Amino acid sequence: MPIITVTAMDDGSPTALARGGEAAILPLFAWLSPSYPVGCYAYSHSLEWATEAGDVTDEASLVAWLTDLLALGLGRNDAILLSHAYGAVEQGDEEALAAVNELALALAPSAELYLETSQQGRSFLDATLAAWPSPRLLRLEGDVAFPVAVGMAAAAHGIPLAITAQAYLFGLVQTLVSAAIRLAPIGQTAGIRVSAALASRVQEIAHQGMALALDDIGGSTFRADLGSFHHENQYSRLFRS
Amino acid sequence: MSVSAWPFDGVPPSETHRRQRAVGRVAFGAAGLDGRTRPMRIEESGSMRIRLPKGGGKGLDAVLVNTAGGIACGDRFSVQVEAHSGAAVTVATPAAEKVYRSDGPVAELAVDLKVAAEARIDWLPQETILFDKARLRRSLSAEMTENASLTVFEAVVFGREARAERIQEGLFEDRWRIRRGGRLVYADTLRLDGPIDDLLRKPVVGRGARAFATLIHAAPDAEARLDAAREHLASIGGCDAAASAWNGLLAVRFCAMKIESLRAAAVPFLLAFRGEPLPRVWLS
Repeated sequence: MPIITVTAMDDGSPTALARGGEAAILPLFAWLSPSYPVGCYAYSHSLEWATEAGDVTDEASLVAWLTDLLALGLGRNDAILLSHAYGAVEQGDEEALAAVNELALALAPSAELYLETSQQGRSFLDATLAAWPSPRLLRLEGDVAFPVAVGMAAAAHGIPLAITAQAYLFGLVQTLVSAAIRLAPIGQTAGIRVSAALASRVQEIAHQGMALALDDIGGSTFRADLGSFHHENQYSRLFRS
Repeated sequence: MSVSAWPFDGVPPSETHRRQRAVGRVAFGAAGLDGRTRPMRIEESGSMRIRLPKGGGKGLDAVLVNTAGGIACGDRFSVQVEAHSGAAVTVATPAAEKVYRSDGPVAELAVDLKVAAEARIDWLPQETILFDKARLRRSLSAEMTENASLTVFEAVVFGREARAERIQEGLFEDRWRIRRGGRLVYADTLRLDGPIDDLLRKPVVGRGARAFATLIHAAPDAEARLDAAREHLASIGGCDAAASAWNGLLAVRFCAMKIESLRAAAVPFLLAFRGEPLPRVWLS
């Protein structure tokens, strides 16, 4: 198996992979794989309710729902948060890091979405501190938002931001596609097609997010967020969100 | 009516701004005294006024009046309300606030709330109606102590219903930040930018709904009131609504095709949840 490398002087362009220089990105494959002990398979980010409500019924409606969720809310915002956490660790700025994390946690619109980001964030940070310790990995006590934890770890290990943000968002897509397969509006093969269909959009959103300020965070996914409120009372649930 | 030019940008207003912009500011403080709330400080300028109709309760009802008769392009308004220790203040508006079409500039409305120990602010303006091509950026910042109580309710409707108006193009940004004991505990920026009507059709945004409202109750009793809040919501129809509670916060969201349906759900909810009458201006 060839060792995958990217340029250490990543300029954020999608062609960075093709250039010279050496920076291991292998940890990302572990960190964002479903087997990493963060329990991502337990969350659907309100997709379970969207399926119940008839918003997501097949491959096409799933692609539309995921694309909108990423572009109009969750994906874009997480890319911004991840990038700012990354920058704070690069600068060794604990105060900035704490502020990004505080904002990321405060942005959770409901109990379940708070649990989704804070439980995965804490688990991710604990697992990474144990297996990939780094003096640059600043400590955060208490709850940690998931994109903040991933941004911190990537910065501490010198993994380029652009690839991290894309991999994180693509991991999110795969988590939600896997949830959709279990919720049964689509099958395995369609699930793979959905992931593939979203790849270029993920790349775009990650790149946009990297360039934006914390104040640019925001979105219009009012009804998807409301879905997570409903999900708390949904009869018969597979997921924690 | 008091309207003043906006003397900014170092260019003669006549060249860049054909229209005079409304500017208004209100700063209002109240204190708790012997179990009652008394007004302390009232500052008004421009087209914003505050009225204190006599009420029977222990708290103080304040009514914010925008004498400019709506919000037009480039208007700037700011409202500051401070409840000192032991005070209870409810702030409302006498009618829906209209946001007219803009030829470009964004109107801004900034609300700052300060809630001291054992004090309470209920921020209950009536809905905001956006016209086609309206551009509004609104912010609500609240600072409260751990044992203060804050209830914020804001409703917005996209387009005038009587005209079946659709917003082809516009901007609505509503940025909420609540700090409690110095820590940011709630942050939300609802932003619909561009082809708002197209956005509203998307299932993640509204699935065709045009009226939205959010209530946040931040108080020591917030989580304990979740079950009661859900019961109050159980009997409503014609409006998609649900509640959630976490970290000392209770959130309720409402989403409806029409503002009438949203009001028909939110009014009884607010009555039951607050356990007291709504400000009288709500009912007129």
